[in-house]
Amino acid sequence: MNRVVQNLLSSRRLLRDFVARDLQARYVGSSLGFFWSVVYPVINLAVYMFVFQYVMKATWRPDQGAQEVVMLMLVGIVSWSAFAETLGRGTNILVDNANLIGKLTFPTEILPAYVTVSALVNMLIALPIVLGALVWAMFFPQDDPALVARMAEAGNPGIVLGAAVLWLPLLLLLQAIFTAGVAYFLATFNLFWRDTFHVIGVATMVWMFITPIFYPPEAFVRPPFDFGWMLEINPMHWLIDMYRSALTKNAMPDPVMLAKFAGATAVTFFLGATFFDRQRDRFADLL
Amino acid sequence: MYETDKKERPQSASGGLGGSAIIARGAGKAYRMYDKPVHRLWDLILPGGPRGREFWAVRDVYLDIPQGATVGIIGENGAGKSTLLKLLTGITRPTVGEVETNGRIASLLELGAGFHPEFSGRENIRLNCSILGMTEEETEERFQKIIEFSELAEFIDRPVKTYSSGMHVRLGFSVATTVDPDILIIDEALSVGDEHFKGKCINRLNEFQEQGKTTLFVSHDMGSIKTMCKHVVLMHEGRVLEQGTAENVADEYLKRAHARGNEKLSAVNRTVDAYPRWGSGEVRTGEVELLGPGGERTNVFQPGSPFTARVHWEASGDCEEPVFGLGVYRSDGTYVNGSNHFWRREPIVLESVRAGSKGYVEMAFETLPLLQGAYYLTVFVYDHSKAAPTPIDHREHAAVFEVMDANHMQHGMLFLPTKWSVSVEGADTRSSDA
Repeated sequence: MNRVVQNLLSSRRLLRDFVARDLQARYVGSSLGFFWSVVYPVINLAVYMFVFQYVMKATWRPDQGAQEVVMLMLVGIVSWSAFAETLGRGTNILVDNANLIGKLTFPTEILPAYVTVSALVNMLIALPIVLGALVWAMFFPQDDPALVARMAEAGNPGIVLGAAVLWLPLLLLLQAIFTAGVAYFLATFNLFWRDTFHVIGVATMVWMFITPIFYPPEAFVRPPFDFGWMLEINPMHWLIDMYRSALTKNAMPDPVMLAKFAGATAVTFFLGATFFDRQRDRFADLL
Repeated sequence: MYETDKKERPQSASGGLGGSAIIARGAGKAYRMYDKPVHRLWDLILPGGPRGREFWAVRDVYLDIPQGATVGIIGENGAGKSTLLKLLTGITRPTVGEVETNGRIASLLELGAGFHPEFSGRENIRLNCSILGMTEEETEERFQKIIEFSELAEFIDRPVKTYSSGMHVRLGFSVATTVDPDILIIDEALSVGDEHFKGKCINRLNEFQEQGKTTLFVSHDMGSIKTMCKHVVLMHEGRVLEQGTAENVADEYLKRAHARGNEKLSAVNRTVDAYPRWGSGEVRTGEVELLGPGGERTNVFQPGSPFTARVHWEASGDCEEPVFGLGVYRSDGTYVNGSNHFWRREPIVLESVRAGSKGYVEMAFETLPLLQGAYYLTVFVYDHSKAAPTPIDHREHAAVFEVMDANHMQHGMLFLPTKWSVSVEGADTRSSDA
């Protein structure tokens, strides 16, 4: 694992170049170019607001308006998208770059890392738009009197954006390391079992639906069924919950979740990077 | 690899000549072949392995290549040359033994590996330099040189996907050799590109040699190996069969190539019936024997050696004045020569041939004037008793042979008996007749 980190640090420039190329490659030849990175989240936002706020009028709790729910979904989906994108691309990244691995000597750890960073950069481009929407929801909340009364009764202040935003860099860093760890593992494993790529496609979808993104975590516990244990083992739930605290409640992330996620991140990255490092000498043979 | 390269770089740069650039001690590489891909996974996670069969692509390789040497690696397809190069570049690890390298390696295993088709040449140069381990300053410094060398200045801002394969290779070669490696490893890289660029590449390689850099060169082409390398390693079935001076090893290689070429060409010659054949058919030609210097049958010749083509024939009908002829073609279809026994200063005239008679005709060179390449013969029998000769038996591609040149003293298709003289003002003129 040490070697992976060292090589990543010493090849920062290469990592940067790969990320830059990747971001450019997405839009090369298109006339709007990089602007698309902004268009996607804006359209996303508009669609969620239209579907969940106006059409479905989604509410999770009596004291939560549809607007607040859409904001919670939005925060969750932004983080999830970056994670899912990395899994999807990262699993095949060694196979996709077979010509580099088989013909050149260069620090291969760059490959899963650049996919991770690239997805995160896209998330960073989308974040200001999400933050803008949050500010809008904070200053222009739904003014339905019945809802306002229920919120006051339950002590729900609605969307509050404040100093807790400063937790964002830490959460992003943890997400990056966690995602990279998973990507290192999957990219390597895929060389032994190429079906991994297809399994991951399905698994990511399942994982998304068992993560409380489009519904509240409370929905897992509806007697007589109790699926609460699913939340207990899902690091992405912890992460998204922390983003929601910091971005919509101006609250410090739950320390227990923070500790659990930090632990999961450390273990995941250690296992992923170690597996990658142990097998790297065989990459050229496995491709 | 890159780590160790960087660490050892200053040492090798100051170390100069004398040390070893590459050492292999009993290096071998085994690949595991699985009947089912999923067995690879079982081997990873389940006990009870290893499953699958081992295949040794390379084994028992001992090399000690001194710094500044230019070494050629030859061997037929599948001899393990490419695997050996992968071991030496560190792309793959030896299964047994060890490989040690000193200095930064640039491998031209595939020129332009990692080029992104959508990006311009300029952008690809930057990324490629970065992948090859150059710093930003180094890239900046060499950027212009790379473009100049590739002669692609006017295309440099166009996407690489619009480049021809030759341009692609030019750009790749320019980048790879501009990184200033201590060891340069080339796998058949020079086989692409036009003559002009090939010349530039060879010049650059010569510069490398002059700077005391180590070059490893893989090729099938004995000619270029012999002109470039003093030391040659001959690989056969994964092992180093022979290593030594270019002359010795090249002879061994040619001997084997002759044997193999004969085998291959005899097989080809048995199946040449597929080619067009026409004529009235009173006389039909049969087997075409090609005879070498001692009168033995062979399909592989050397320039300047005796050559005899013997064509057997049999008549099934009567015919007047049949004339046998032979056409020599190069494998690409170039008509090299055509002759027969009638159109000569001293013609041979066969007045008439009766049904049932048979015999053979021979066409011979005392010294075969052809240079390296593959050639084929077309055999024909024409009736010259009519106003215009009419075909009796015309057989395209009746035999195939190959000319292999160990010495490469001339290039092209034909050996010409040139005479040379060189004069320097104020000194004797020196001349050479052979």
